[in-house]
Amino acid sequence: MAFLYELAWRLLHAALHLQRTLLSWFRARLRSFDWRLWKRAFAALLVPVAFSFHAHRRLGPQTGKRSCRRFRWGADGRALEKLPAHVGLLIAGEEPRCADVATLVVWCMAVGISYVSVYDNRGIFKRNNLRLMDEIQRQQQELLGVDSAKYSIELVNGTSEKADSQGFVCQAVVKVLSPNDGKNSIVSAAQHLCRSVEQKERASRDITVDLLDSMLRDSKRTPDPDLVLKFGPVDSTVGFLPWHIRLTEFISLPSHTNVSYEDFFGALQRYATCEQRLGNPLLGTRGPPQDSAVEETGDSA
Amino acid sequence: MDFDSCGRRRHRKESLQSIYSCSIEGWFQVSVSDKFQKSNMSWIREGELSFIERLSANILKAGPMPKHVAFIMDGNRRYARKRHVERQEGHTQGFQKLAETLRWCLNLNIREVTVYAFSIENFKRSKEEVEGLMELARQKFRKLLEEQENLEKHGVCIRVLGDLALLPLDLQQLIAQAVVATRTHNKCFLNVCFAYTSRYEITNAVKEMAWGVEQGLIKSSDVSDSLLSKCLYSSSSPDPDLLIRTSGEVRLSDFLLWQTSYSCLVFQSVLWPEYSFWNLCEAILQYQLNYQSLQRAQEQHLEEQALQQLEADRHCVAELLQQRENETVIDGQGRKELLLGYTLDREERVRGFLDALQNKRDDFFNNLTSQAVLA
Repeated sequence: MAFLYELAWRLLHAALHLQRTLLSWFRARLRSFDWRLWKRAFAALLVPVAFSFHAHRRLGPQTGKRSCRRFRWGADGRALEKLPAHVGLLIAGEEPRCADVATLVVWCMAVGISYVSVYDNRGIFKRNNLRLMDEIQRQQQELLGVDSAKYSIELVNGTSEKADSQGFVCQAVVKVLSPNDGKNSIVSAAQHLCRSVEQKERASRDITVDLLDSMLRDSKRTPDPDLVLKFGPVDSTVGFLPWHIRLTEFISLPSHTNVSYEDFFGALQRYATCEQRLGNPLLGTRGPPQDSAVEETGDSA
Repeated sequence: MDFDSCGRRRHRKESLQSIYSCSIEGWFQVSVSDKFQKSNMSWIREGELSFIERLSANILKAGPMPKHVAFIMDGNRRYARKRHVERQEGHTQGFQKLAETLRWCLNLNIREVTVYAFSIENFKRSKEEVEGLMELARQKFRKLLEEQENLEKHGVCIRVLGDLALLPLDLQQLIAQAVVATRTHNKCFLNVCFAYTSRYEITNAVKEMAWGVEQGLIKSSDVSDSLLSKCLYSSSSPDPDLLIRTSGEVRLSDFLLWQTSYSCLVFQSVLWPEYSFWNLCEAILQYQLNYQSLQRAQEQHLEEQALQQLEADRHCVAELLQQRENETVIDGQGRKELLLGYTLDREERVRGFLDALQNKRDDFFNNLTSQAVLA
């Protein structure tokens, strides 16, 4: 009997893996197919919604080369109901590619997002951050063309930071993160606090959430990520900034390689329509009663 | 019992009828509708899975199963609005669903469940709603104390995680009694996060370590990732393998932020009171699809941690050597022995500190229990 169950389980998983492979194949083919064929393919696969982190289904028609869109980026950003101040680009479970991530960073900046964090759980971006910076600058030139001079990207790496930030229309701060910036930074802050207790500079009861929070802010006072775009097949944060993601929205996209602007912007549109309370979303004050105000935790018990 | 147009038995109460709409889940639940009414306050919903549910469970169990699942049970209020019932009714239905979900978890051999019942931030809701939730909690914990035999039979250990000092004293006492009464049970574990936020939990863990330093139990150099984990409220539990949030929200809302770094996150759009066995199976399937990648990521993280600890110990030993002025030159073997000795000392210190911490926590509950008895 156990053997039969195991067989059934293997068949089920084989079917799911096949479905995933077919989906990625279809996505790749989508670029050259028209939308109606895609809709038919989708329907044929009967894709269950649950089998993706939070399936992004807004796959619009291709509008041509990326560079043609440049004049619309700023307008796109302004057209959104709300734009995240800080976006995290989380690569989980696939090989990170500098060029593709650089494109995403430039798009973020072009639509008006002020802070962008780039993360992968093996620290590959962190080790290659100079290469990433070069790639970002190259993409900035290529995608923004003559306007690229109006944009400034500041790469914050915890070490040196560019001081000159005057005269730019749009500025974005880019941080390259690795698992060390997550739990380890909390542990470092804890060690620092314990040392000051050891040296009788402070009592243990003086340690508060606000104190720890201020120690975990960088010199730029980067706000917590409002939105994390997760790329890749793994449904996890894989160590991304545990302290800072308490209210972060997670939107999943299948892959960061060859991601289209439409998919990226679609994710921003989804973020814009999700309802959060202004300021601290867990505050009791809400908008008009008929709007489906966010159900925060504490709905049960 | 009369029958409605779908051929199912009509329930006496309107609010219950609204739950069993024409859906496939409704068919499976018809047979337990009588038991449902009798045990509608119970923490444990008696009943077995149907044939198809058992079959699916057995197939799923052929693969890796999560040992610890965490739930953010979101959607009670939206459910109440949808069904045009009182908000409080939505919360009550949410509790029924919790009891049912616990039974499904037991059937699936998932022995540990953590739920987010009440956030510290929720104190900012209207006084009426907060009081309603406190009253519901009082009822549930009183019921739990009445059901001790049942809990013992199933071996359920209840733990409550959070800043309990923020709660009304009588509720604290009820909670303490429930925790102490089920402390020795070890077949399955239910962790209820009440007056909880993850940031507060992490800060509290740092405070406890600082307390340990103040008491001279540990040194500041003993502070590490794994020591912090052991100072969290959830120190007796392994990290959750799977975190499920219902109602379509895609946030963690300050829940188990430290513990879920390498957990499979599943966001489902179903409202919590409408959660079904099949939703749970879907989530578990998602976990199984992610299992290997997450195992790898976790192992990598643990290896990194071990290396960092070794480095930290080496650094401490080097510092100690520097401080000793009249020591002869130590060779490689000598250093190794010193390092080993230092590591063992550190582990001993940490054990002593964790024992003291556990005693402090046990005393907190014991004191509340004896207060309740005297009162």
